[in-house]
Amino acid sequence: MLNNAFFHFFTLQLFKERGKHIAVVLLSVVILFLLSSVLFLSSSIRHSLNQTLSVQPDFVVSKTLGGESTTTPLEWSDELVDIYGVSEVSPRVYGRYFAKSKEKFFLIVGVDFLEEQSHQELKKIMETTELKGFLNGDKMLVGEGVKNYLSQNFYEDDYNFLTPKGEFKKVAIFKTLSAKSNFIANDMMIMPIDLARTILGYGEEEVRDITFNVPNPDEWEMVADKVSALHFNLSVTSKKEVEKAYENLYNYKGGFFLILFLVLLTTFVLILYQRYSMVYSSERRNIGLLRALGWGINDVLKLKFLETISVLLISFVLGVVLAYVYVFVFDAPLLSSIFLGAENIERNLGFVPVVDFSVLSSIFLIYAVPFIASVLIPVWRVAVTDPKEAML
Amino acid sequence: MIVIENLYKKFGEVTILNNINLHIKQGETVILKGVSGSGKTTLLSIMAGLDKPSSGKILIDAEPISKLPDAFASKLRAKKIGMIFQHFNLFEHLSVEENVMIPLVPSGLKQNVIREKVKNALDLANISHKKSMLASRLSGGEKQRTAIARALVANPNIILCDEPTANLDKENSLMFIEILKELHGQGKTIVVATHDPLFEYLSFENKVIPMVDGAICE
Repeated sequence: MLNNAFFHFFTLQLFKERGKHIAVVLLSVVILFLLSSVLFLSSSIRHSLNQTLSVQPDFVVSKTLGGESTTTPLEWSDELVDIYGVSEVSPRVYGRYFAKSKEKFFLIVGVDFLEEQSHQELKKIMETTELKGFLNGDKMLVGEGVKNYLSQNFYEDDYNFLTPKGEFKKVAIFKTLSAKSNFIANDMMIMPIDLARTILGYGEEEVRDITFNVPNPDEWEMVADKVSALHFNLSVTSKKEVEKAYENLYNYKGGFFLILFLVLLTTFVLILYQRYSMVYSSERRNIGLLRALGWGINDVLKLKFLETISVLLISFVLGVVLAYVYVFVFDAPLLSSIFLGAENIERNLGFVPVVDFSVLSSIFLIYAVPFIASVLIPVWRVAVTDPKEAML
Repeated sequence: MIVIENLYKKFGEVTILNNINLHIKQGETVILKGVSGSGKTTLLSIMAGLDKPSSGKILIDAEPISKLPDAFASKLRAKKIGMIFQHFNLFEHLSVEENVMIPLVPSGLKQNVIREKVKNALDLANISHKKSMLASRLSGGEKQRTAIARALVANPNIILCDEPTANLDKENSLMFIEILKELHGQGKTIVVATHDPLFEYLSFENKVIPMVDGAICE
């Protein structure tokens, strides 16, 4: 058990040998900061994605041509409505519109505002939009990133699109979407479906794809099969497949960082091990001396364990707090572009603070076990040798 | 009481201690005398339980220190043996007081009891006035007195000194001998391994045991 004198001596040692510990703490903080940042970032992105995906329609139907997606006939939506279990069938017209020498693009989304929407986020946007004013003339709703980009290029109230026919089409900005929807709508321009058709060059009976929901999850597979059977060139993508694709993408990136972390951790552990086992002769002498002065092996191990765990806890708290601030206060500069990819239009994306305590405990264990072992095993080896030999 | 019987210490083919037989009574002062390499430091280390013999028996107050499990041997060492090393072996980053405290740290004694014992030991070794000074800033004589205080702090019956005056000037060496005299007066068993001629004519009763090539010369 720890008595006062032992605790006093331990704090004394920790404080008086702080120079020795600072290098270890600094290195540990860097490793823990990197690992925690990556995990915070991926947790936050996953959380936002889950939220975004949860409001996506259950299925997307599109036409394929030679294996590639092409424009979809609008009449297919009538066929979908007729399938039992299908609801909220909604044709979509969308596509990239490249602006200014193809440097940036906007995602134009055409919405039939008079139809029921299968996309919950669009539903919300429609509910909060004053439709009478919006549908009166050529108007659009834009994401925050689009608004900022247009403002920088002196388009404050409207934008002139160049249609595929070579004509200009002036569209007024009706409203900017809230920053909360930046994850999905940062580079979006939402406009009436016919206007989108004109700008993107779609025919009247053409859409990009058709979305629909199947309220009963037990019927998903059966409905998907029925829909697939409608046309040989029809492709159905479920929400689950999209989720999986995103999961794989971020797991791959997270895994890449995990490997980097393991390499870093292994190097660090080797350094510590070498320092305590062979190179660090004054440490050997001190352990031998403590033993010569009547300390038992357990006393020495207890002291070194307390020292190690203190260094570890200080490093852990510092690393995790710094990572939290870096990701959730400063929005993870550099690291966010690695995870989110190069940005088309600058995104003012506040990462939602998501701290998974099981992840935190895993970080602690992944780091603590090799760390403690790399110190205590050599210390134990010295402590069990005869004090005279250790003091040599 | 220290009993050593048929004690050998070998490193491979080399015999460091050769059939040592020695009985040291409580309160006796013994000077192990010999040149470097005669085996006196090794014998002292084995007495302190810092090293193990290759064969033979060593008893400290009837306890076979070299055969005891670590926990018991450490306790025995902490309680009964005070060791003074040739190079003082202080923790340079700690103060005099903190160095002296070390043997008592695992004892489970309360902090105020430890403080009292440390104060007494510092007074006895005449180093109280430097108690807050870092060991790295002490002179050789002061380091020696700190080492003495540390050896005495647990009030052991046996004091083992390995070349205690090797790094001291004559004045400090004589001062050290005076402290030994005082400890002798208190009834402590003292064993000194040395080749310093100052120990040849001590002013108090002692037994000089010459050692040559790892053996005691009677």
